[in-house]
Amino acid sequence: MRQTLVLLEKEFRLFAKDRTAISLTFLVPAVLIYIFGHVFGINRTESGPTGIPIAVVKQVDEAHANTADAIIAALDREKSFRVLRTSKDASGIEHSLTEPEVRRMLTDGDLRFALIFPEQTNASLGIRVRFLNNPQNEIETQTATGLVQKTVFTSVPQAIFQSLQEQGRRFVGSAAFEKFDHDLAVTIARTFGGDPAEIEKQIRAGDFGLSQLTTNDSGEASNFLDQLVKIDSEQVGVREVKNPQATRSVGGWAMMFLLFALSGAATSLFDEKKAGMYQRLLAAPVRRTHILWSKYLFGVILGLIQLVVLFIAGHFLYGIDIMSNFGNLLLVCLAAAIACVAFGMLLAAVAPTSAAASGLGTFLILTMSAIGGAWFPTSFMPEFIQHLSRLTIVYWAMDGFLRVLYNGAGMLAILPGVAILLGMSALVTLVSIWRFKRGQIFD
Amino acid sequence: MIETASLTQPPLALREVSKRYGSILALDRVSLALEQGEFFGLLGPNGAGKTTFMSLVAGIRSPDSGQILLFDQPFEHRRLDQRKLLGFVPQSIALYEDLDAVENLRLFGRLYGLRGRLLEERIGEGLRAVQLFDRRASAVKTFSGGMRRRLNILASILHRPRLLLCDEPTVGVDPQSRNAIFEYLEDLNRDGMTIVYSTHYMEEATRLCSRIGIIDHGKVLALGTLDELLGELPASEQIRVARNETTAGSIAELRHFGEWAETQEAFVLSPSPEMRLSEFFAALERLRLSYRLVEVERPTLEDLFLHLTGNSLRDS
Repeated sequence: MRQTLVLLEKEFRLFAKDRTAISLTFLVPAVLIYIFGHVFGINRTESGPTGIPIAVVKQVDEAHANTADAIIAALDREKSFRVLRTSKDASGIEHSLTEPEVRRMLTDGDLRFALIFPEQTNASLGIRVRFLNNPQNEIETQTATGLVQKTVFTSVPQAIFQSLQEQGRRFVGSAAFEKFDHDLAVTIARTFGGDPAEIEKQIRAGDFGLSQLTTNDSGEASNFLDQLVKIDSEQVGVREVKNPQATRSVGGWAMMFLLFALSGAATSLFDEKKAGMYQRLLAAPVRRTHILWSKYLFGVILGLIQLVVLFIAGHFLYGIDIMSNFGNLLLVCLAAAIACVAFGMLLAAVAPTSAAASGLGTFLILTMSAIGGAWFPTSFMPEFIQHLSRLTIVYWAMDGFLRVLYNGAGMLAILPGVAILLGMSALVTLVSIWRFKRGQIFD
Repeated sequence: MIETASLTQPPLALREVSKRYGSILALDRVSLALEQGEFFGLLGPNGAGKTTFMSLVAGIRSPDSGQILLFDQPFEHRRLDQRKLLGFVPQSIALYEDLDAVENLRLFGRLYGLRGRLLEERIGEGLRAVQLFDRRASAVKTFSGGMRRRLNILASILHRPRLLLCDEPTVGVDPQSRNAIFEYLEDLNRDGMTIVYSTHYMEEATRLCSRIGIIDHGKVLALGTLDELLGELPASEQIRVARNETTAGSIAELRHFGEWAETQEAFVLSPSPEMRLSEFFAALERLRLSYRLVEVERPTLEDLFLHLTGNSLRDS
C-alpha cells in the first residue's frame, strides 16, 4: 500500500508539472462546455441565436407604413436579430437599403436574411412581406425563418388595428372617433365586464387581444392571421445544393483536421531539434530560412491536398458539387491552407516544447473550430463570441467555402475573405519570424 | 575562390574567439591553427566548451568576438559556399530514422550540391566503406547504435570535405564499433582529410590524434603533440601507490621524494629529478608497504589534465 501511495504521489507531481496535461484536462473542456452551453442555451436565461443580421427594405405606401414600422420595431426588440436599414455608398454617404442592393448582398453571401415590405397591390387590411434568405446555413435558416414568422405574426395584428384607428381618426375626425372608441369601450365593459377606461386605452392602442392568437395554434387563429399577413419566402443567391448539411459539415471538419495536421507538422520542428538535425543541417549550406520555408511550403501543399481530397470525398459520398466552381474552391482552399500553416508555425514559434505546442494547439484548434462556425452556426453563440469568431481563420475559411459551394460566388466575391485569410497569415508569420529569431529552436 | 583553396593553406585558424551564453563564458579567447592533414584532438571534460567550439567552427553559431579563418579566409556565417569545405559529424545521431540509409545519404548529399550519378557512386562507395551496403534499404530506426554512428559520419563526408569536424562521434558506442569508426576516420585522414575530433576520452585522443588541445572552462590549457604535452609534466614517469588505509597512513613519510597528487584510487608521485628509485623502494620496505601496491607508469593525458586543472577528466 505504501508503495502504491508513493507512486500515486509521483503521478500527481508529474501531472502538476505538465502544463499540457493540465490544460487538456481542465481548460479545454471548460472552454468547450462554455461554448456549447451558449449554443444550447444551458447557461443563459434565454436560449437561441443572437445578432443574426437581417436587412429591411420598406417600399410600402403610407397606409401600410405603420404596420411595416411596427414589424421592424418588433424585429429590433428581438435579440436574435440585428436589423440593418441602411448602408454606405463608396463615398461614405449613408442611405436606406434598396431591394436590388439587398439581393446583391444575399447573392454574394454578405447577408443571409432580408425582409422586404413591397408596394401593396390591393387596399386590403393585411400586409404582404417578402422574406429573402440565403440558406447557406440550413440550421440557421430554419431558426431565422421561425423567428421572423413569430415576430411578424405577433406584431402585425396590433399594428394593423392601430393603423385602422389612425385611418378612422383621419376619416371621421378625431373627436368623433374618440367618442366611438369611448362608446365601444363602455359597451364592452357593460356586456363582458371590466374597466371601461382600461378597455378604451387598449382599443386606442389597437390591442384587441389578437396578438394572443399567435400563441394559439388553432386552425381558426392561423387562418385569421393568414388573412392579415402574407409572407412570401424566397431563396436568393443559392444554387441547387444537393446535400446542404454535408456541404457545410465537410468544410468545417476539413478545416479542423487541417489545423490538427498542420500544427502537428509544425511541431516536427521540435522533434528535429531534439534529434539534433539542425546541428547537421545548419552546418551544411542551409540557412534557417531554408528550413522554415521547407516546412511552410510542405504545410501549404499538404493542406491544399488534404482539403481537396476531403471535398472530393464529400463529392462522391454526399454529392457535394465541387466541380462547377472548382477554381474558386481551390483558391479558398489555398488561402485556408496558408493560414493554417501560419497558425502551426506560430505554435512552434511561441511554445517552448513540442508537448506545449501540442497542448496549446489542441486548445486553440477546438476553440477556433467551435467559435469559427466549423461545428455550428456562429449566430448560435453570444454576440461577443460572434465578434471573436471573426478573428479566427476557421470563420473566414468557412465563409469562403460556403460562398463558393452555396452561392457559386465568383472570384470578386471571395477575394475579400481570401485577402483577410492571407492578411492574417502574413501577420501571424511576422510574429513567428520575430519569435523564431529570439527563440532557441535552432540553438 | 573557395573551391580552389590551396592545399597549403591552414584549414582552420581561430584568433581570440570567445562565445558567451548569458552569464556563462563557454569559450574564452581561444586561438589555435591547424595544419593541413592533421588529426587534431580537442580533449576536455563535459561542459568544457568542446561542443561550442565545434558549433562555431561548423558555422552553426557565430562567435561573440574573435575571428575564425577557413583556408585563410574569414569564415562568414552567411557564406554558404564555405560550408562545402566542411563536414560536421554532430554528437547526436542526426539522421531521419524513418528514412532508409540511402534516402538519408541522398538528402544530405544533395544539400551539398551532389547530384545524379556522382551522388549515387559516392553513396555506394561510402556504404561499402562503413560496411552498411547490405543494409542500404533498411530504415535507420532498425540499425544498431554502432551502425547509426557509422552512417552519421558517412552522411557528413559524402561531399568530400577538406575539413571534418567530429563532435564526440563515438558516444554510446560499443568497443568493436568504436574501433571500426576509428579505422574509418584514420583512413580518411590518411587520404588527406584534416580532422578535428572532440572527445572526453583520453584513450581516443591518444590513439587518434597527431596534435591535441586540452580544453576546460572554455580555455585551451595546452596544445601540442602527445609528447610535447606530456613533456609539460614535471616528471616523465609517475609512481602510483594504491590508496588504502596502510598507504594513507604512511604516505607522509614519502613526501620528500617529489610532488604528490591524489586521486580516489591512488597517490601519484611525480619524482623529483634527484630521486633515486632504490632509495624509494628502501623506504617502502622500511614502512612495510608491499611493492605490489606500487606501479611505475608513463604519464598520461589524464595526468596532464590533473596537473593543469587539479581535477581528473572524469571528475570535472
